[in-house]
Amino acid sequence: MALVHLKFSFDGIPGASIPREWSHSGVVGSGDMEVLLTRREQNGRVNVTVCTPVSGFDRVWELVLRRFVAESGCGDLELEINDNNATPFVVGLRLRQALLEARGGEI
Amino acid sequence: MRYSELQRKSFLEATARERAIGLTDEGSFTELAGPRDRMMSPHLPILGEAVSFDDGVVTGVGLVGEHPVFVISQEGKFIGGAVGEVHGAKMAGIFRLALTAYDHAAQEHPHDLERYRPAVVVSFETGGVRLHEANAGLLAHAEIMDLIQDTKGKVPVISLIGSKVGCFGGMGFVAAATDVILMSPQGRLGLTGPEVIEQEIGKEEFDASDKSLISRTTGGKHKYIMCDCNELVEDRIGAFRDALCGLLNRPYSSLCRCRRIGSYELVREQMALVRLAAQLNPSDSKDIWRYYGNAEPDLIPEMEVKEFLKTAHRRPREVE
Repeated sequence: MALVHLKFSFDGIPGASIPREWSHSGVVGSGDMEVLLTRREQNGRVNVTVCTPVSGFDRVWELVLRRFVAESGCGDLELEINDNNATPFVVGLRLRQALLEARGGEI
Repeated sequence: MRYSELQRKSFLEATARERAIGLTDEGSFTELAGPRDRMMSPHLPILGEAVSFDDGVVTGVGLVGEHPVFVISQEGKFIGGAVGEVHGAKMAGIFRLALTAYDHAAQEHPHDLERYRPAVVVSFETGGVRLHEANAGLLAHAEIMDLIQDTKGKVPVISLIGSKVGCFGGMGFVAAATDVILMSPQGRLGLTGPEVIEQEIGKEEFDASDKSLISRTTGGKHKYIMCDCNELVEDRIGAFRDALCGLLNRPYSSLCRCRRIGSYELVREQMALVRLAAQLNPSDSKDIWRYYGNAEPDLIPEMEVKEFLKTAHRRPREVE
């Protein structure tokens, strides 16, 4: 019943963080999520915390997040996710949008 | 999104943060108690409900010309914009800041206060109390009502209603207690929401699946004809912003005259409306529109805003 807190850590690219100290993106609507990105120099490491009402999807989260870190080429980041039943596809999409926004690109 | 694009964006579709940024002057909005402060509901995790870093409301301060504008912008996508403990405390905090800013402005610019007078702007998108934390939510409503009374004579409070969820429940009362209400035709304002009326009294009383009925009863055009809202604008952030700038350029006393409640005379005017409703016994809003001189009420729902504003006949106000 209580919220599920998950923690993950991945190897990213040193120096491939975001320009500003932090950036926020997304709205915790039904089937959606928000993410807070914080710049942190840590040899490229990307740490992710997920707060979600859904249990039993730890492995899916890990796969989606691992793929995002690998494909986006990011690094030196802390990601904090508040999820409200977003599907794996939506999670991947929102993370890519968040990174693009944090880097000053247009969506 | 660029500021110019934001101005053209639909107010209905915009997030709370986009509205807050787009309503104030370009680059002037500073969010207070924003996502990075992680002020989240302490009650939702216990119930296993998703939380949000801003608890569903964007609060902060920006500028409109020389006026410091204290903004509250509710996010309907997060639990229907419902007001819980943190959400409510953030709203109350903005009112307190605005009152402090007024004291400053009154001291610094005693002879030029009209130009520097702070304002509170609330972009409502809410059904009122968040039932998951109902006591705290109700208390927040009471606190905000109290603070609105403290603003009288000092700071104008302006309501903007044009978002998906509308403005219902306890926050419908709160909006009614503010000085000025701006709406778009898509905006909806009421106390008991359509679903709740249907659930409590029945489909014969109110069919909550009938979108055009809901719009005719609670929508911006009806509220404009009834003078429950003061101005009607198109569904664009820029249109709301233009109307807001227009209001802040007017003397404070003229904004106070926009109030619909708050004095003996105004209450008498409202009571006369109650008597009229009993006497007319209307079956649809169109009956009232016709009563106030709109000869072809069937055309009103589909009318463009410009055309509507040119042709609509409004309820004559008794108190000027």
